[in-house]
Amino acid sequence: MTETSNPSPDGLPCGPAPGAPPLQRARPDSVAERREPPSGSDLRARGIRVRGLTRRFGSRVALHPIELDVEPGTVTGLLGPNGSGKSTLLRCLVGLVRADAGRALVDGVALAGDGVAVRRRVSYSPGEIALYGEMRGRAHLEWLLRGRGKRAVERAVSVAREIELPLRQRVRTYSHGMKRQLLFAAAIAPRLPVRILDEPTEGLDPSKRGLVLDMLRADVDGGSAILLSSHHLGEVDRVCDRLVFLDRGHKLADESAADVARRASRVVQMELEREGDPRALAAALDGLAGAAVASEGTRVTARLADDDPRPFLAAAFARTDLPRPLAVRFGELSLAELYRELYGVEAC
Amino acid sequence: MERTLRSYLWPALGYLIVLEAMLAAACLFWPSFRDNVESLKAMAPMASLRQMVDALAQGGVEAYVNGQHFFKGCNTLGTAAAVLFAMNAVAGEANRGTMELWLSRPFTRRRLLLERYVAGALALTVPIFLSSLTVPWLLSFVDERMDIAGLMLCSAHQSLFLLALYSATFLLSTLSSRPVWIAMAMLFFTTLEFSLYLVKTVTHWSIFRLTDIEALIWIMQHRALDWTRCLPMVATSVVLLVAAERSFARRVV
Repeated sequence: MTETSNPSPDGLPCGPAPGAPPLQRARPDSVAERREPPSGSDLRARGIRVRGLTRRFGSRVALHPIELDVEPGTVTGLLGPNGSGKSTLLRCLVGLVRADAGRALVDGVALAGDGVAVRRRVSYSPGEIALYGEMRGRAHLEWLLRGRGKRAVERAVSVAREIELPLRQRVRTYSHGMKRQLLFAAAIAPRLPVRILDEPTEGLDPSKRGLVLDMLRADVDGGSAILLSSHHLGEVDRVCDRLVFLDRGHKLADESAADVARRASRVVQMELEREGDPRALAAALDGLAGAAVASEGTRVTARLADDDPRPFLAAAFARTDLPRPLAVRFGELSLAELYRELYGVEAC
Repeated sequence: MERTLRSYLWPALGYLIVLEAMLAAACLFWPSFRDNVESLKAMAPMASLRQMVDALAQGGVEAYVNGQHFFKGCNTLGTAAAVLFAMNAVAGEANRGTMELWLSRPFTRRRLLLERYVAGALALTVPIFLSSLTVPWLLSFVDERMDIAGLMLCSAHQSLFLLALYSATFLLSTLSSRPVWIAMAMLFFTTLEFSLYLVKTVTHWSIFRLTDIEALIWIMQHRALDWTRCLPMVATSVVLLVAAERSFARRVV
């Protein structure tokens, strides 16, 4: 878990400490290679700052007090199962759902009233796809971008062309994925410092998803702060600099690239042949050098007590009576594994 | 606002055409009514209807046109239009799932709501004034005349009445997600009120007393709005609109 404690002028603790590594522009290939969020006093009030945001629906607490920072020039991914509070948090941040308690600053503007001041600085793409079917694509884009200026519409049309969206057709003839693309084009087009996107790639085919993720990456490279939610681990692995895991309204983890790397450095995985007995191997290795060992399928996973795998590996390799592993991996943890570790369920 | 207005354009045009068709038929029927008023009175099944026919006959063409156009045409068709124009204002968005999209743009909820209210209110009231403007021309076919100022005052009075019904439906729309239920509730209420109007012993409980032939004849005779009737209607609309705004501000997407 990562906590930030650098106080901002308004008293909100925000952002990493000054002197953190500078913003890198190259796109990372894996979670472990991702950059740390950029810092700097000029950016402190920018991006998104959430402190103690809470929301109840009747007796059900949809959001327990949430703390969150999204830095300019980064993509933060919200992950969690259905009902974890991702959409509620995003809706709270744009004022569509009023928070019962807590504060939020979006691009330096406090969330207040119906959130219109925030929405002027934020483009928002809802997770629910319900559009006005009677409108044509272009007219719908204009409707979505009302109040954002003509240039935003022109850019949205250009984005729509890039993703081959037929703007002359009525929206009712669009497929689910095309509707999602229309929402994305409207969300990415305005020149705004913050974007809040609820499942922006849901329903897209792999090629369109790749295009969308590339555009998001290019956008943050221009300095935007993006907060997106997703169920799709592949895309967050590819595009996000920071991962926030929610479950039943609680923030389970807030992982930066370094956090994930640290978590991964304590995991050793062994792959066995099909004839091997992973359960027996796990039972035999459990407790060696303080490791907790479990098996699943043909894989045995050891969670180490510290960052140094050598005592565990030495003790394990000394047991020549145990099944021979086909492969041994150390220092790698995919998001799917991270998800499983946090929630105990398989991610999609 | 432009798109909101445009979305009401076709329904408003349809409403105007039907209203105008009813008005034209009524105006052209005037000589026949005048000549056969006794027979029509005899055919009326209820005492209240006989009294109405009497009032129309005594008031001449002005009372007849007011009764036909405002009391009959606007109160039936206008009430239906008021309900239809308001029921989808917010509940329709919730019902089709577009409310989140509607509210996610950089405008205040108050502004979005008022845009809807104003667009629907214009769609409801403008056809009443437009159709009333054609009355002198229609009456010229039956060699009758009518003062346009009085007609405009009656149109304003009728519009205020319908706006109160429209505002009530609008408030329900901010509270519910089911437009059909709202329509059913409002149509049940207005039908009940109209039924009450027709029963002599309880007629004073009916809201249609505010806009019946008696009220319209008073306006034509005095060439002024009857503020004892208009003020409650205006106040009702304002209170209901404020309540709708409050309800909408608290509404969860």
